[in-house]
Amino acid sequence: MGFKIAVVGDQETVTGFALAGATYAHIYTTKEETLGKLGEFLASDEIGLVLITHRVAEELGYDFLWMMQAKRLLPLVLRIPDKTGYVPKVDELREIIKRTVGVEIMIRKEGG
Amino acid sequence: MAVPLAVPPTRMELLKLRQRVGLAQRGNDLLREKMDALVIEFFEVVRRIQEARAKALEQLSVAHRALSMCFAIMGTLETKQASREAKRELQVEISTRHIMGIAVPAVEVEEIERNALMRGYGLHMTSSVLDEASREFERALKLLIGLAELEGSAFAIARELEKTKRRVNALEYILIPRLKEAIKFIVMKLDEMERENFIRLKRIKAMLEERE
Amino acid sequence: MSADRLIKIELSKLNVHLPERRLSLREALSSAKPQVVARDGSVHTFKREELEFLAGLLPEADRDKLQLPILIALEPKLGRGTARISGDAEAKVVSQVLEKELTAVELLIYRPEVAILRRKLPTTTQYLFLW
Repeated sequence: MGFKIAVVGDQETVTGFALAGATYAHIYTTKEETLGKLGEFLASDEIGLVLITHRVAEELGYDFLWMMQAKRLLPLVLRIPDKTGYVPKVDELREIIKRTVGVEIMIRKEGG
Repeated sequence: MAVPLAVPPTRMELLKLRQRVGLAQRGNDLLREKMDALVIEFFEVVRRIQEARAKALEQLSVAHRALSMCFAIMGTLETKQASREAKRELQVEISTRHIMGIAVPAVEVEEIERNALMRGYGLHMTSSVLDEASREFERALKLLIGLAELEGSAFAIARELEKTKRRVNALEYILIPRLKEAIKFIVMKLDEMERENFIRLKRIKAMLEERE
Repeated sequence: MSADRLIKIELSKLNVHLPERRLSLREALSSAKPQVVARDGSVHTFKREELEFLAGLLPEADRDKLQLPILIALEPKLGRGTARISGDAEAKVVSQVLEKELTAVELLIYRPEVAILRRKLPTTTQYLFLW
């Protein structure tokens, strides 16, 4: 199945990916508007991937995290740095790895 | 200390309990195997993510530099105009594949790199910096699509891993100990009743012998 | 008791991702979209590069014998971390992938080897839980 790409972020990010072929775009305006647009993208059956900058994701705060928990498998959502290269200090994946390593250590201890 | 189950101390009950411990133990062993397998899968995806992230983010910053150049030389308005005129119908093939029943995304990264004609912005706007910026972003997009596939898989596996771990814990630390306690209790009670019976019989025998 | 029922339900879910009918390597290679349908209705697609890699490891005649996905059987009886590969063609191919000698009809492999096998053949191998 073929899906389209959406991008949410600042002017440069949106322009760049539009040039690369992304179909849908939203430049951050206000939290409410952006959450609304993001919701549309997540509900769309056409969109397979949503690129969103870390900065905007942070602006959207808890509502964004909630949407990530609640969404279906598609569209995939990927957080990316903007032109400043900003990445947040807390890496969700690293947190998950830490928790998993906790499991791994438990397994080994019990004579695995 | 496990809270003991309230069960009548009969042999029937003992048999039932032993069956239940067997079932619980079997379930636990299998879920542990599943957990181990999930951990293998998880760490493999994580390993690939680390490589993929480094490459993708590097390419993204290259792309942004090219775009800044384009803004500077061609002008911001013209560049934005080009991005509006560009052919923006890029499609990605996404299907699902399965690891032990968990749906993970499988993305086909088709050829994203195009030439100026394919990109669609008017020929009058063609300028090498625009081409450059477009090309670098196309490359970045390709790498990011690959990364999205990996991260999607990682999160899905992690979620299943957590769920399985909770079940293993419930079996190992709550259910099985409770069942074992109940079994101990019944065995003890049955032994006691056996002994009491034995003593009673001996007394009766002694009484009967006295009568004679 | 509801705990027992929950356990039985969990056990019944363990293998629900496996297909009713597997595909032979020959069938998979000749299909435009090589895939199998699992018992829960999910569709699992094999990657072409893996199919071609497997084809290269076997004589042409064996392509009918190799059933996909190759099953990595996890059975607590074998001990934790040990898995079994059954099937002639399957064992042959896996022993080559792992560069391990085949001593019996069934092949036993250990946790680090399982990891390597899964890394090299992510879509053409799957786990099977046995008890």
